[in-house]
Amino acid sequence: MFSNLTSFVQKAQQFIDPTQGLNLSNSDRNPSKATLFQGQFRLPISQHPVYEINAELTIPPSNITHGDRDHERGWHYAGKLHLSEAYMCFSTTPSSFSQSASTSTSQAFTGQTHGGGPSGNGFTFPLCAIRRVERLNSQNFQFALAFTTWNGLLFDEPKDKDGKKDKKDGREQRIIIHLAGTRQACERFCDGLKRGLKAGVGSVGKLRGIVAENYSEYLLRTDEKKNATAPDAGLGMIFRYPGDAKKLRDRSKMRLWAEYLRDNGRNVTLIRQPTFHKLIRVGLPNRLRGEIWELTSGSIFLRLENPAQYKQTLDKFEGQESLAIDEIEKDLNRSLPEYPGYQSDEGIGRLRRVLTAYSWTNAEVGYCQAMNIVVAALLIYMSEAQAFYLLSTLCERLVPGYYSTTMYGTLLDQKVFESLVEKTMPILWEHLVKSDVQLSVVSLPWFLSLYINSMPLVFAFRVLDVFFVEGPKVLFQVGLAILRINGEELLDATDDGTFISVLKLYFSRLDESAHPKSENPKLRAVTRFQELMVVAFKEFSGITHSSITELRLKNKDTVLSNIENFAKRTAIRNLGPDSKLLAADELASLYDRFYNVLYDRQQRDMIIQEERKRRAKLIRSRASDLFPNASTENEVEKGRVALGPSTSLMDYDAFREFLASLAKWAISDSPGQSRFDSSFDSDRTPRYQSARRAADAFSPWGTGPEPAEHDFLRRMFKNWDVDGNGALTLQNVVTGLAKIKGKRDIMGTINYFFELYDDDDDGRVDREGILRISESLLFLSRRGLEGSLSPGASNLNLSGESTTARESGGSLPPGALTNERFLGSVSAFIRRCFEYADPDRPGHEETEKTPSTEQQEGGSGEAFAIGDDDEDEEDLLGPDSPTASPSKAKLPSSLSPGDDQVADRNASHRRASKSEAANAALDPAHPLHITLPTFRMVVLADELLEQFFESSFPSSFHVIEGIQAASASASSSGLTTFQSLGFGARAPAPIQPGPPEAGRGLRGMLDGIVTDGMRVATEVRRRMEEAQKELEKNALPGQRPDEEEDDDEDIGVVVGVRGNAAGNSADVDRRSVKSSDRDLLSGADAEAGSYKESGQSLIDVDSKPLPARPMEMNERGVVEFEG
Amino acid sequence: MSDSANAPKPSSSVKLVLLGEAAVGKSSLVLRFVNNDFQENKEPTIGAAFLTQKCNLPSRTIKFEIWDTAGQERFASLAPMYYRNAQAALVVYDLTKPTSLVKAKHWVAELQRQASPGIVIALVGNKLDLTTEAPTADVDGTDGDDSGDARKISTEEAKTYAEEESLLFFETSAKTGHNVTEVFTAIANAIPETSLKTTRGTGGANATSRAGDEQRVNLGGNRDAGAKDSCAC
Repeated sequence: MFSNLTSFVQKAQQFIDPTQGLNLSNSDRNPSKATLFQGQFRLPISQHPVYEINAELTIPPSNITHGDRDHERGWHYAGKLHLSEAYMCFSTTPSSFSQSASTSTSQAFTGQTHGGGPSGNGFTFPLCAIRRVERLNSQNFQFALAFTTWNGLLFDEPKDKDGKKDKKDGREQRIIIHLAGTRQACERFCDGLKRGLKAGVGSVGKLRGIVAENYSEYLLRTDEKKNATAPDAGLGMIFRYPGDAKKLRDRSKMRLWAEYLRDNGRNVTLIRQPTFHKLIRVGLPNRLRGEIWELTSGSIFLRLENPAQYKQTLDKFEGQESLAIDEIEKDLNRSLPEYPGYQSDEGIGRLRRVLTAYSWTNAEVGYCQAMNIVVAALLIYMSEAQAFYLLSTLCERLVPGYYSTTMYGTLLDQKVFESLVEKTMPILWEHLVKSDVQLSVVSLPWFLSLYINSMPLVFAFRVLDVFFVEGPKVLFQVGLAILRINGEELLDATDDGTFISVLKLYFSRLDESAHPKSENPKLRAVTRFQELMVVAFKEFSGITHSSITELRLKNKDTVLSNIENFAKRTAIRNLGPDSKLLAADELASLYDRFYNVLYDRQQRDMIIQEERKRRAKLIRSRASDLFPNASTENEVEKGRVALGPSTSLMDYDAFREFLASLAKWAISDSPGQSRFDSSFDSDRTPRYQSARRAADAFSPWGTGPEPAEHDFLRRMFKNWDVDGNGALTLQNVVTGLAKIKGKRDIMGTINYFFELYDDDDDGRVDREGILRISESLLFLSRRGLEGSLSPGASNLNLSGESTTARESGGSLPPGALTNERFLGSVSAFIRRCFEYADPDRPGHEETEKTPSTEQQEGGSGEAFAIGDDDEDEEDLLGPDSPTASPSKAKLPSSLSPGDDQVADRNASHRRASKSEAANAALDPAHPLHITLPTFRMVVLADELLEQFFESSFPSSFHVIEGIQAASASASSSGLTTFQSLGFGARAPAPIQPGPPEAGRGLRGMLDGIVTDGMRVATEVRRRMEEAQKELEKNALPGQRPDEEEDDDEDIGVVVGVRGNAAGNSADVDRRSVKSSDRDLLSGADAEAGSYKESGQSLIDVDSKPLPARPMEMNERGVVEFEG
Repeated sequence: MSDSANAPKPSSSVKLVLLGEAAVGKSSLVLRFVNNDFQENKEPTIGAAFLTQKCNLPSRTIKFEIWDTAGQERFASLAPMYYRNAQAALVVYDLTKPTSLVKAKHWVAELQRQASPGIVIALVGNKLDLTTEAPTADVDGTDGDDSGDARKISTEEAKTYAEEESLLFFETSAKTGHNVTEVFTAIANAIPETSLKTTRGTGGANATSRAGDEQRVNLGGNRDAGAKDSCAC
């Protein structure tokens, strides 16, 4: 359908223009035309402005009550006719909602203060209330349409529907509308109308049910139906309405209203003329009050849209419990307890049902104290269902955010109110500031309970009468008027107490004469309340919807960040004892990052959902009359802490994103990572810059870098998710990070790492685990090592001062060598792990190895207490190694780059004696494992690894400063190391070295370099696998490579091989490992700049490049992800 | 000026704020203290209610300006508005409801960090009437946790906590009036002399509004009587 197409185009344009697209993330700063349209005509959010056209409305003189000459020609109004999916609206306010309209013309409705109401004179007809449309011949206009409505006919019994009778009763409502526009525009409008009318036919039945509950139908009923039972017009019908009906002149008001409704249509077919607004100003009659509230607020259209919702909600949740229900129960007896209706079960029951039903439909709001008072007030004048829909309208449109869990709307409006007081009553404001009286202390309850428990009920209802038709600005106008009228006395008050009592006294005397001493009896008759209304709407007529909106926008950020600070403070204070391990600013920063990620993600989700919805809508055209989820109303920003509990759980993807914001290694290597350099972090922290975000909103990761995906991340997530519910709370994150960062002791980190890979918690990590650990070590180091690394020739005691010994940089190219070395360390790690691993079957042990059982027993406690281990270590260190301190295993401690080579070379020579065991360990058919003590030993046997666990890993989490700062500090080295080492993060597609896109300039070049680095890394990995495969092939020819954890059928042979130090497999392996070492060394020798070369040499030396391998590796990667 | 004319003792006003989970009886405590009254169904406090009551000490008269805050969780963010400049706070929990003590502890922490330094905090376990133990004059001496009553938080537990945090501690019943005035008297006594300023009202407030205030908040002789026997002085 055309309308959908246009809205789609509009949306698409917004996507292109980021500033326009903002209205998704910041709806009130730049509300959509649809929102404004819905606001003006109080329509449900399912309605969008589809067509609009200038028109003139003619209301013929009524043939019953007004036969007099004045009205012979009827009334004419020039204005605009709007058509939405299911409504036709006419307004004298010159507003426009077409795409071309400026925002100000769309907001024009906000200007009116007296008389016109927000939508001026006119009508809002549901299309299903239109019975007939005829085209008239007219000289002046090409298009003159006569509309006949169902006014007054719907409540009748079907048998009455013969039409003739209606005419006799004169109830037929017929209006004429002349369209003023080009022929084309008129035709288009008429086409739209035709379609709308056709679609509306089905809803006539629904409409019939709706109007039957309206008191006006009963009031204007035909003579023969005098006995009909009156529809429910609130508890007042049973328990009397508050106030003295005589004093309120209820009867004469009723008569005037009956007359007005007879002439101008009732409920949904009512036409607003100036009298309508005047009648509202003088106070509504008791029995029509609920209906007019429902009509002016637009909640009747919600009821029309989904009439059964109230009852269905109650039925659906019957018997269920919730926190909101508990809270509601506490307050049921405390809601307008003086009103007799609420001393009865009937009244309490109604109150309970309405509040409960609403708490289910809008779980985000649930129940807030003050809602009980508001609903109790509504229920005096309207039925349960009516009150239910009106409550929805209140919470979601009229006073949004007032009752939310953070009450940001309330706080915001207090700020707005204060600034209005400052502007309009500067002297009083100054006085308040000087006396340190906080205005909101008095005014907050006014707004929150809509004056209901501040003023005597009769007057509060008068305020509500105007509030529902003119909107929230009324609350401000009345509040300002109260202060203005009491200004003198308030200027004398110097403390909160006096301030409050002055106003309390004033409220209690609202019914007294405003000018008791006046000579003029007319003036004497003016009550204080009347005076209040006059001051509010005359003197403060400048307070308009748009001025309020503007002030709200201005103050919003302050208010929200105040709330957020409060929430943050509270949340951090209430974190468990683990949080003590982290510094206060670390916690604060974690909190920010945690919620930032959630907020960002929700924003993105919403945008995606919007898009999806739009597409869905496009497809299923306009059959969409589903009641929209209350929470989507207003397109409010999501995820800000201050806006209520959107979510506080972090799923895995959010976790990745979270980590990517504080650890370099958690950023993906895929080409999308350029953002990492440009727009990250600096202004990300507590302030929420949605402007920039909107532009990036369509990247799956928003403005941030694309997070990496790696087995290690999954393990960490699982480890942190102590409750096992697949999502992390802030508490989980804090606890998890405290384990890594909090203790700052190397054993703790080593243990932690081991724990991550000890899948079944049995104190062992199997071969697969060992490989994974080494992979993760490469993964974590691929962007360079951080923290304190000794430059090489380490004569320093690492356990101690090394933390402060920052990489000096000196003559060495700082990062590169370290990382080359780290690669060496990791390969040594693998080697040693296998060397010292225990077989899973201790029974077959032939070697000198300690049986695993024994090792485990001794294991957890003292790491190196076991004699065998010491021996091994001695062995390992060999004669060359000067400082072999077995107890702490500060192993090959002389590791200057040069020495490193030597040591490694030595190690490889030395390995001759041990290699058989190691090689056997690589045998896939021979299950083995390492225990924690072994793991510790192996780690501590390498200086670099030790440093990694001691400092580099914990300090790779840049909790406070984020990775921006971190990468800046190490930018040059970080970059080079990344290139030289960039071990493909096993992210979905990063490794394929495909040529970068043409025309990308510098970026493309950069990517090229990066890709080269990756290739090197890939190669390492491949060789690792190759070695293994080779082994498999040779040792167990029948076995398929991926069946690593295979059965043990050949166990005997394997053990034999192991013991015998022979066999092809062993040779192949040894050679391969050795050559790898050599490669590494040459790589280390190479200049930091020549990664490419080193990559080449790796490939060359290996000289057995099997084309199938890389693919195979990818396959494996996939499997691992799922596992 | 006029206020203190008939009272020879110096008079000071003290801002006191009540905090605690919803429906633990904050408003009832105040009502008992101010009007010596009890209502089963009190309207929930929206934002905060403001009341005043005098407490006579041997050396001085303390006029409490009591801010009785709303207890519902979501009103918590409004609390700073009310405890701003408060010299004393009553953190109330319901001794039949364990969660309410947790919440009370949160409030204590919040006050200790955010409220004015030197604020006097009293921890009050309300609804003592729901326990079976007969409330005696000496509450601090009564042992907690007799089984069979509705009590869920032992005197010992709360008292230990109060001591750790150096809070005043009472168990009260707003319904029977047990220990209520004692709380306020103890607070009055605990307010350091130095932090007492002379009644703000005497400076600038005019008599009219002040009279209205008192009329409103604590009517007639009942109050004076109550105040007199309540404040043990």
